[in-house]
Amino acid sequence: MASGQESSGTTLMDLITSDPATAASAAPSPAPAAAASTLGKPVTTDRKSKRATLTQIQNDTIAAAKALNPVRAIPQRQKKKPVSYAQLVRSIHELAATSDQKSSQKQLVQHVFPKLAVYNSVDPSVAPSLLMLHQQCEDRNVLRYVYYYLARILSDSGSQGLSPGGGIPTPNWDALADIDAVGGVTRADVIPRIVNQLTADATNADPEFHSRRLAALKALTSTSASSSEILEKLYEIVFGILEKVGDAKQKRRKGLFGKQGGDKESNTRSNLQYAALSALRRLPLDPGNPAFLHRAIQGISFADPVAVRHALAIISDVATRDPYSVAMALEKHIEHGGALHDILHLHDVLARVSLARLCHSLSRARALDERPDITSQFSSLLYQLLLDPSDRVCFEAILCVLGKFDNTERTEERAAGWIRLTREILKLPEAPSVTIKDTDNPTAKVNTVKPSSKAKRPQPLIKLVMRRLESSFRSFSRPVLHAAARVVQEMGKSRAAAYALGLYDVDEGIQLHAYSENAESLDSEFNSGSQSEGTRKTVPVSNGPGGMDTIAGLLASLLEVVRTTVACECVYVRAMVIKALIWMQNPHESLEELQSIIACELSDPAWPSALLNDILLTLHARFKATPDMAVTLLEIARIFATKVPGKIDADVLQLLWKTCLVGAGPEGKHTALEAVTIVLDLPPPHPGSMLGLTSVDRVSASDPKSALALQRLVQAAVWFLGENANYAASEYAWESATPPGTALMMLDADKMVAAASSRNPTLAGALTRLQRCAFSGSWEVRIIAAQALITIAIRSGEPYRLQIYEFLHALSLGGVQSQFSESQISNGEDQGASGTGLGSLISPMLKVLDEMYRAQDDLIRDMRNHDNNKQEWTDEELKKLYETHEKLLNLVSLFCYVPRAKYLPLGPTSAKLIEIYRNRHNISTSTGLNDPAVATGISDLVYGISELVYESKEAEKESDAIDPELAMAWAAGLEDGLWGKNAPAMEKVNEFLAGAGTDAPDVEEEENITSRPSVTYDDLWAKSILETYEAEEDDARSSGTSSPESTGSVETSISSHFGGMSYPSLFSSRPSGYGVSQNSEIRSGNNGRRFSNTSTGGPTLEGIGSPVREEPPSYSSSVLQRFESFENPLAGRGAQSFGSQDEDTGSHNPQFGKALYDFTAGGDDELSLTAGEEVEIDYEVDGWYYVKKKRPGRDGRMAGLVPVLYVSSS
Amino acid sequence: MLLAVLFTNTEGNILVERFQGVPTEERLHWRSFLVKLGAHNLRRAKNEELFVASHKSVYIVYTMLGDVSIYVVGKDEYDELTLSEVIYVITSSVKDACGKPPTERLFLDKYGKICLCLDEIVWKGLLENTDKSRIRRLTRLKPPTDV
Repeated sequence: MASGQESSGTTLMDLITSDPATAASAAPSPAPAAAASTLGKPVTTDRKSKRATLTQIQNDTIAAAKALNPVRAIPQRQKKKPVSYAQLVRSIHELAATSDQKSSQKQLVQHVFPKLAVYNSVDPSVAPSLLMLHQQCEDRNVLRYVYYYLARILSDSGSQGLSPGGGIPTPNWDALADIDAVGGVTRADVIPRIVNQLTADATNADPEFHSRRLAALKALTSTSASSSEILEKLYEIVFGILEKVGDAKQKRRKGLFGKQGGDKESNTRSNLQYAALSALRRLPLDPGNPAFLHRAIQGISFADPVAVRHALAIISDVATRDPYSVAMALEKHIEHGGALHDILHLHDVLARVSLARLCHSLSRARALDERPDITSQFSSLLYQLLLDPSDRVCFEAILCVLGKFDNTERTEERAAGWIRLTREILKLPEAPSVTIKDTDNPTAKVNTVKPSSKAKRPQPLIKLVMRRLESSFRSFSRPVLHAAARVVQEMGKSRAAAYALGLYDVDEGIQLHAYSENAESLDSEFNSGSQSEGTRKTVPVSNGPGGMDTIAGLLASLLEVVRTTVACECVYVRAMVIKALIWMQNPHESLEELQSIIACELSDPAWPSALLNDILLTLHARFKATPDMAVTLLEIARIFATKVPGKIDADVLQLLWKTCLVGAGPEGKHTALEAVTIVLDLPPPHPGSMLGLTSVDRVSASDPKSALALQRLVQAAVWFLGENANYAASEYAWESATPPGTALMMLDADKMVAAASSRNPTLAGALTRLQRCAFSGSWEVRIIAAQALITIAIRSGEPYRLQIYEFLHALSLGGVQSQFSESQISNGEDQGASGTGLGSLISPMLKVLDEMYRAQDDLIRDMRNHDNNKQEWTDEELKKLYETHEKLLNLVSLFCYVPRAKYLPLGPTSAKLIEIYRNRHNISTSTGLNDPAVATGISDLVYGISELVYESKEAEKESDAIDPELAMAWAAGLEDGLWGKNAPAMEKVNEFLAGAGTDAPDVEEEENITSRPSVTYDDLWAKSILETYEAEEDDARSSGTSSPESTGSVETSISSHFGGMSYPSLFSSRPSGYGVSQNSEIRSGNNGRRFSNTSTGGPTLEGIGSPVREEPPSYSSSVLQRFESFENPLAGRGAQSFGSQDEDTGSHNPQFGKALYDFTAGGDDELSLTAGEEVEIDYEVDGWYYVKKKRPGRDGRMAGLVPVLYVSSS
Repeated sequence: MLLAVLFTNTEGNILVERFQGVPTEERLHWRSFLVKLGAHNLRRAKNEELFVASHKSVYIVYTMLGDVSIYVVGKDEYDELTLSEVIYVITSSVKDACGKPPTERLFLDKYGKICLCLDEIVWKGLLENTDKSRIRRLTRLKPPTDV
């Protein structure tokens, strides 16, 4: 503890003993030498004599104590000198010996025991004295402490139960390290004795021993559950007691605790019932045991309210596992006037909470489908609990109605919950039962709903709930507000589930019928017990006499109250309110109000970062529930990015961007990308500017730290844009409709830009943004922007590539800078000779593009020559062409990932020639000339290798074939297991979605903001190299991180950096083999080894650790795509076979599929589909299939691209 | 599950702590988290005014009683409102034991008694007794209902 007391320099013991008035006793001065030496003496190693040692200690203690007058033994107070643990223990030993004397008892109760309590627990060496006191002392107060300490010894688990304090002030518990030395008594020595003595107490039926019996039983339950022997004994005792007292019929008396009248016998019985059930509650649940259930159910009728609470808790636990038995056993209690109805009046909040949970379990249990009479009775009881005066009980009932029980409910259950809430009616059987006033309940006082005669009327649940929640939101109690907001959040979850499943066909805006018109039908409906959702028809919701209302109206008025709660000064309440609002937000509703609330909130510096990230995770969860809301949620996420860049976890934010982009679907992709990259349009933060604090678009990064964080976020956004723009724009070079030649004609830049933006506004917009970033912003942002541009240039067709080429060229010359940057605020950096500082970075990029264009020109010229001369291409010429193709492919792959099998650096016209050469020489698409078989000419000798390989792969492919539904889930990000296991934020998101998290919070230090993980620029470098492979080889990671210098300079890291960071990209990961030759030159030997290891994996690469899992799988989740990603130039046969597989499928064995949904072509290269149509799948690329139809469709086209998810491949 | 009950003085020194189901290595985090929470919010708090916080699926309710801050941490059925009940029982018992909202000195003088009360209120991570007269009886080794 000492460390804890650093601030004050005192220990808790100091505090306790510091006041002279009360420090009277302290401890005896050091005991006589003889005694001390005995006590302090280390154990003799002779195990056999343990017991003897114990007795010896006792005898010595007694002797020593008797020799002294105990009063004298505690002589002068020792001012300000804290007593030590050892002194206290010694006092106990001494005083126990004279426990018959009043003064000793007083000493124990007033000084020794209370001070000893400071030590949380005691060590086993005290046990003999405690047991002696237990046997000999009759003073109740002494005995109470004895039971307290015996229980503590029994419950100790690990490190003697003396919890070490750590670095914070705790009353822990000064030098306990040498505790073991005292007498050398161990737990193993004393536990059996303690248990025996307590068991004797607990089974003692002597009325004199009544209270000791109860205390002993309680102490016994402290035993850790690991000792089966003691547990057995406990069960025996508990059931023994219940056997005797459980059956007695008795009426529960109304009245306050402890003041019940009644005869001695029934009071004794009630006490025993209480003690036995309390003990039973602490014992492990035994669901299969009928005796266990029987005793628990008897407990419902016990007189003691705490006993009833425990009984209900046990039953509700059992009910989740074995609902049928419980329901059968409760049959007569649930009938009208039965014991369960009495609990509505029971003055114990937790008992009623357990009742609600029990009713929920039983009314929903599938096992009871045959007994609608029973389930409806439980439902009705549950609905009655909605009127409970305690908020706690009422809220539990609401959550149960909503289908929220723990965190494991399925969407269907939640959806059913919302339907239940909006359609069910509460009809009270008779006089309202909720008339008790919970005087002891602090929270209930504020909001007691007093059911008037109105409550007798059938009431729609939704109205009751809304009214109740509205009144709770007017409470001044923070816990009530927090809980109410949480309930609204759960309501939103159930509502979202109902919408998601399409079960919820009711228009929330329709006017509800007045009660009077429907009373009869409601009655009959209610009484018939047809409560199950499946068959239940819509019941109109009534609004009391004369009132006309709608669910939408009720919700709106509730949300109005919820919104006002945002004014609460407690951030936790506000956070919960925002989460509730996010969940209640529907896709079609206006977003503005929520946006401005959040923007307003985030301007408050009081928000802790953990809470903000929690909200961000809520956005994730909301997206998962309703993928339609992708764009809405991105808009909200954007506010976080701009307002509190320093406080949010950029990994989680990026994952949200990615999932939303994918989830936004073909139509929303553009908007989704816009929402992400709008971050880039923000003006740089103005320090100290307080203007427009609440504006959504205004950056608030007033301090340097958050400005830095914002900059990192901008880097991340730029990277994200570069990596995913092609996906969002559905523009790929390998699918480009425009042959490069056409584009080259458009040399006029203005025309080119105009053509580009008319053809694909998404990509054009992204380019504009990136171009601006390449000029403005910090140096880091410019670097990433240039990299993003080259990525897009490589992946896009014309005229984008040319446009970027021209731009980069201008950039490297620095000529245009003045035009662009005039309006931008200079950050004062030296921008280098070129004006951008990017010259060294850009020149290799330009070189690649130059090479590509040159090669394309050459190819066109060669082709024209061949055509003119009517010459066939010779093998030599083809070989040269193919080598150029390969060389460029390798070059390109250094900068970004491209699908090797599809990518044609020489332009679409080269496809045919390349194909011819490949087929002629059995070159697999991916491994190319690096394949040893090709290099050595072996492939030429092997006939039909492709067929062989194909056959062997076919089987494998079959097993890997992806269920279309799975693919759908994948794309929507609903199937977590399929997300890359390494995605750093994924774990957090999953954990959040699973409702996990009882781990301790990190206390936020100020420094944490800057050291927030994942977005530092160094990390970007490191990640790009390391994380791709980290799953495969741990030592690779260490070797990589240990040499940061190698990645530090721009020159060396460019190539590796381009490969793709671990940020979510819509491309699946960069295949391990790309650019191996170049990479290994750059990297250290260790890294090289890593590569070779990776690539020898062959077919087994498809394990979990394979690189393709490194990132969440992309939209394109087809088998073909996945194989492609494993292709590896260094791999042997295995990889080769992977490579050839793709081609083979295309040429030899066409894949067929069926359209799952209607699809309307959005572009020239797309193909409209009608659900059910049969298609032939030609190939697949990044989420799209190129398919052929048997007959022309409504647009007259036969072939084109369709989204993978729209086609089930057979 | 009632994960923790913590008493601290105004300086953030821990006076009493009871953890249940919290790994030893996490206790330190909880202590710092709670103490920091109190330092930020309890400075000008009224007696027994309830404050709320949450961390993932764990709820925290805390309050000030005299010179002593009281924190309770729970999960599952021990949500904000149940914790409010728990803290209410604790404060009324502490007041009962001390005769009034305690100063730190008074609290320490009644330390043993308070520990015994706590023992009757929180038992193995579950709320046990809620009635203060019943708790008083039990701390004196008398049965809950007089015989």
